[in-house]
Amino acid sequence: MSVIDELTGELARLPGIGRKTALRLTFHLLKAPAEEAQRLSRAITAVRERVRACERCGNLTEQSPCAICTNTRREHGLVCVVEEASDIMAIERTGEYRGMYHVLGGRLSPLDGIGPAELNVRPLLERLKEGEVREVVLATNPSVEGEATALYLHKLIAPAGVRVTRIARGLPVGGDLEYADGVTIAEALNGRREL
Amino acid sequence: MYLSRLHLRNYRNFAEQTVELPPQGVAIIGDNGQGKTNLLESIYYLEIFRSFRGAPDEQLVRFGEEVFRVEGTLRAPDGAERTLAAAFERRRRKKKVTVNGAEPERLADALGGVGAVIFSPSDVEIVAGGPGERRRFLDIVLSLAVPGYVASLQRYRQALLQRNTLLRGNAAAALVAAWNEPLIAAGSRVVAARARWVAERRDSFAAHYLRVAGGQPGALSFDPCFGEWTSADTRPDAVAEEFRAELERSADREARRGMTLVGPHRDDLRFSTQAEDGSALDLRTYGSGGQQRTAAIAARMVEAETIRETRGRESVILLDDVFAELDPGRSQRIIEWIDSSDGGQVILTSPKPSDVQVHGHSLPRWRMVAGQVVPE
Repeated sequence: MSVIDELTGELARLPGIGRKTALRLTFHLLKAPAEEAQRLSRAITAVRERVRACERCGNLTEQSPCAICTNTRREHGLVCVVEEASDIMAIERTGEYRGMYHVLGGRLSPLDGIGPAELNVRPLLERLKEGEVREVVLATNPSVEGEATALYLHKLIAPAGVRVTRIARGLPVGGDLEYADGVTIAEALNGRREL
Repeated sequence: MYLSRLHLRNYRNFAEQTVELPPQGVAIIGDNGQGKTNLLESIYYLEIFRSFRGAPDEQLVRFGEEVFRVEGTLRAPDGAERTLAAAFERRRRKKKVTVNGAEPERLADALGGVGAVIFSPSDVEIVAGGPGERRRFLDIVLSLAVPGYVASLQRYRQALLQRNTLLRGNAAAALVAAWNEPLIAAGSRVVAARARWVAERRDSFAAHYLRVAGGQPGALSFDPCFGEWTSADTRPDAVAEEFRAELERSADREARRGMTLVGPHRDDLRFSTQAEDGSALDLRTYGSGGQQRTAAIAARMVEAETIRETRGRESVILLDDVFAELDPGRSQRIIEWIDSSDGGQVILTSPKPSDVQVHGHSLPRWRMVAGQVVPE
């Protein structure tokens, strides 16, 4: 197998990249200045060597505990539970949330053999036992599995006397009512609030 | 709106076939096994993106080929055209649907694009077959008519599958219970939509049955797994409350049996007629072949009405050899029903070159021989 085939094969294994795109990327790297390819290669190596999961919240970080966990200006009594570390980035981009995080590393899915033992549930309970946390925000996805995970965690956490909340579902901001699907509108109506 | 053009490639016994269809429709005559039903099936494929006969997509690919493609052009009275296409690749099991060349965000967004209803001899199974046949009928009609129904149904099935996996594996009660709310939320929307549709359409069903049966009364009712939902404004939250209570009641039984025992996956429809003493007679068990067929036809007529009202235009009526098994009186009343609606396209198949008059004119006749269509 030639090195061209090897690189193309590796690229094609990445999510969202098919055989054709992989080939295009390979030829792009061959045509571009050598420095460009070296930069990419160094970046890939560095990210694998230096990034790991935060020992406290599971966020991806270069130093553990991560910058969010060690930030004393953030609210340590508030913990937002997410499925994946990438969800933290989405929430952080909003700049609206000033609390802590906890990454589950997935969601309950019996069909895939994923139960509470496969997720970072126990570390979350340990954190709550420390007594600093007043509220847990369950921010799992609104999928069937995400809902079940949130409900399971709610039952589990509630006896600890911690406030448990669930992020709201409904119409997207800037979305038109007329174009929203029926389920979304129904959810939005169910979650209506006093003005 | 009518189907003006149909192009098939490697679909069932068709290698390559293009047909231009007249606005009033066509009668396709041919011996058995020439592909008449396949042609109707391909048209209806553009409506629900699967076989109305329940065949898996792999079986629709012509023997020895890899990909089938069906493309239909719909023409509105003002001349505007819309092209629907569906293709399936056997090896990658990949389906691609396009509307005017663009892929819809979700397959559900493209459902019901033709606005077709198919009448077929196998429809009798809706009445005489198992409850699964009746739920399939309901689900297809509601998927085409109620926005969000497909999404609710998919969420329900997903929650059910996950929950059953836990129950089968003797999982802890707390873990099983976590799936209750997703199951209830989606399931109660499914039940409410079914209940409302039956409540809204039962009078119309009775009228169609009465007419086709030549004076015998018939009735359609909803036979839900739990509760009694007979009102046209059945609310999902009312259903949810009862669903929740029912799940609690059956928790022990479910743990023992290792599966979810309550929910819309156990709903049913009931078709009945009146016995001589005035009591309701279940057609599934006690109906004659003719009565069962009549009920199935009335159900399809109600479906056609639903589709017409939802789409705001005449539906395309596909009749697959339906007259063969009916007496002349019943056949005539189906024609009268088609005539009473104004101007929908009719595409019918028949092994005999019978003369079918729709809207006072004979339908043009085509002959079908070994996957080839020849105008007569």
